[in-house]
Amino acid sequence: MVTVNGQEENVAGQTVIDFLKQRNAPIENIVVERNGEIVHRSEFDKVTLASGDKVELISFVGGG
Amino acid sequence: MEAEVQGQPYKDVYNGMKERNVKNSTDKLTAAHVTIAGAGGLGSNIAIALTRIGVGHLKLIDFDSVELSNLNRQQFKLSQVGMPKVVALKQNLQEFNPFIDIQTAQVEVTHDNVPQLFKSADIICEAFDNPAAKAMLLDAASEFYPNKPLVMGTGMAGVHSSNTITTKHPRPNLYIAGDGTSKGVEGLMAPRVMICAGHEANMITRLILGQTEI
Repeated sequence: MVTVNGQEENVAGQTVIDFLKQRNAPIENIVVERNGEIVHRSEFDKVTLASGDKVELISFVGGG
Repeated sequence: MEAEVQGQPYKDVYNGMKERNVKNSTDKLTAAHVTIAGAGGLGSNIAIALTRIGVGHLKLIDFDSVELSNLNRQQFKLSQVGMPKVVALKQNLQEFNPFIDIQTAQVEVTHDNVPQLFKSADIICEAFDNPAAKAMLLDAASEFYPNKPLVMGTGMAGVHSSNTITTKHPRPNLYIAGDGTSKGVEGLMAPRVMICAGHEANMITRLILGQTEI
């Protein structure tokens, strides 16, 4: 299990990019924090989520 | 430093400012370097607030020019329509305080130019409209400048309650103001955008004065 924004999700073993694609949200508006570190966009297809990971998704909306 | 601008000597302007600025804050504010990415509804209001209290070094970044559709919330004038936003904003800021150092860059911020654009910043202020640009800047700033505080805004659209706009501190050196959910397509109007801009400007002020909590 991976904790995503405080909720447990069965997504261990997925790359960050595959995990994000399933979420129905624009990927370009999201920053991913994994175990306290930002996962840079260039690493989305290289980093695999592991059981016990804590993921925080920081999402942005338009307007300014 | 010019001694006098528009008939007002530096000393008098700063004495006036110090009369009302929080005690012992002005020297720290004068020494601070803040780089503001985006000179629209958020950025123009943030820049005015920081200029008025004497933040000494501002860098304004925006690729865009002033349009009529900006004027319902952005601090430009009818006479400035068509001007590059950074040029128009600098002009306006200099009327409030001609003694601060204002740099401008009329470029689009990309991942690759973040190292150069934000090198001089003590504090980075995100004031974009575009959500992908917001995410890009957090991504790049955390890569190139993880030790510089980054103050951001997300969610200030519509006419929802003022009290839903807050400042959050989700990770070290990251501060995010806004309601987090209202999208620009709802419409963006000066009062609520200014609340979010006020949150960002006050957080930047607190950081300059050594207060890192929200």
